[in-house]
Amino acid sequence: MGWRWFHEWGSPKWFYDRAGRWQRVCGFLALALLLVGTLWGLGFAPADYQQGNSYRIIYLHVPVAFLAQALYVAMAVCAIVLFVWKMKLADVGMQALAVVGFGFTVLALFSGSIWGKPTWGTYWVWDARLTSMLILGFLYLGLIGLRSAIKNPDLAGKACAILVLVGVVNLPIIKYSVEWWSALHQPASFKLTEKPAMPASMWVPLLINLLGYYLVAAYLVLASMRTVILDRERGSAWVREVIERD
Amino acid sequence: MIEFQFDSLFNFLRMAPHGIYVWPVYGLGLLVIGGLAIWIRYQHRQAIRKIRRIMNRESIHEPKA
Amino acid sequence: MSVEHRFLVRELKLVLARPGDFFKPMWFLILVISMVPLALSPDSKLLGEIGSAMIWVATLLALLLNADQLFRDDFVDGVLEQWLFFNRPLFWLVILKLFCHWLFYVVPLILVTPLAGMMLSVPNDVMIALLVTLLLATPALTCFSALGAALTLGTARSGILGVLVMLPLFAPVIILAAGVLTRASDGSDILPLLALLGAFSIAAATLLPLAVGVALRLNIGGSS
Repeated sequence: MGWRWFHEWGSPKWFYDRAGRWQRVCGFLALALLLVGTLWGLGFAPADYQQGNSYRIIYLHVPVAFLAQALYVAMAVCAIVLFVWKMKLADVGMQALAVVGFGFTVLALFSGSIWGKPTWGTYWVWDARLTSMLILGFLYLGLIGLRSAIKNPDLAGKACAILVLVGVVNLPIIKYSVEWWSALHQPASFKLTEKPAMPASMWVPLLINLLGYYLVAAYLVLASMRTVILDRERGSAWVREVIERD
Repeated sequence: MIEFQFDSLFNFLRMAPHGIYVWPVYGLGLLVIGGLAIWIRYQHRQAIRKIRRIMNRESIHEPKA
Repeated sequence: MSVEHRFLVRELKLVLARPGDFFKPMWFLILVISMVPLALSPDSKLLGEIGSAMIWVATLLALLLNADQLFRDDFVDGVLEQWLFFNRPLFWLVILKLFCHWLFYVVPLILVTPLAGMMLSVPNDVMIALLVTLLLATPALTCFSALGAALTLGTARSGILGVLVMLPLFAPVIILAAGVLTRASDGSDILPLLALLGAFSIAAATLLPLAVGVALRLNIGGSS
């Protein structure tokens, strides 16, 4: 024992079958959690004493922005796994994470900018968090572009892994420099380590939604990974079996 | 702790005065995430279709036993 | 002659063989700078205020003109493959190559920026700060753009992709340099920020050649 999991995780067929089941579970749980969290946040949480009802955007914006960054870190973990253990699945994961991460970044940017209108009076402020999110979006875009430009998938995966690792080392530097640069900065309202200043009726739905969006991201990443696996392994016998079975 | 904050459904939808900001954000969220999900499904179907085509082509060329 | 010596001589010969690549960035810089007053206004007070930032951005773009070419010729004619057989580690050769690029292409470009500063009537003390920030920041920028160039070697026509991939990572350098310039123009102390900029540059110049080496090795292996 001990190494069996490693071989299983290295086997695309094993993963393809499992991921199909996980994906369904993630999808249903995400749907349920998001329904509860979003309705709670929109209808049942009390209005903010300063921002009124506009703060209700937080139930989408904050989890999505959090995930946009978390997905980049997940990609960095995949990059390390790819370099250290040469696990092809990690490369598939990177490819899927880049697309989903870019989608979440775009959503975070647009929701943040719409939230900015009632809060700051304008759609775009060069606020620290918006700016570093914009740079994160460019990083994701660069990864997608780099992968699509290199024809050899092995080469593309390793090139992307280098870029991801250089990016993940730079992200904190970018974040701190942008924060230092920007004077218009409000402190993050939600930290896992501190007791939040919000009442429970406000942060519980936020936590539910955070979990929900995590599961949505997992659903999307798993679905996308399955597609990539199918495409890359199209010559192998098991893929043909799977397709004939369906 | 949990009670409906609005006195009518209409006021909930109006969400005065910020309804025009809040609802589009959630609509956009649905659009982006739903769009991603549909796009990935479409890609998956395309991949399967592509492999089916290859398999059909090969079965035509296969010598009959 | 040692490997290093021969390496430097070869790079110098290559520069002399293609004077076009040497002058093109300077030409570009001066052209862009002369467009600024046309697009904005010839008011020298306004130009002096934004001039240093304009020069910084124009220099950055001018640097990127040659960045794509960094490894391409050596890759195409097989010199990169020979790098693997030198009795020197690959990252050391990368450092040499990047140092040569910086010395032969970037430093001359920086020496032209005072001319651009005069055209935009940038005050003298800001101009000196600008020169110092450029000298400190360009090693980091060269390393980043080299990584972009190395990563896109495997593509048929890399063109601008390497630049697009790397440009977002320039943000901290630009922010720090801009901070130095604002402080220089209101006469406050610029040394702490210069130290940060230098630290970033040194870190980039020591760590990134390793990544560039890995990226080059990938492409050399992939081509055979």
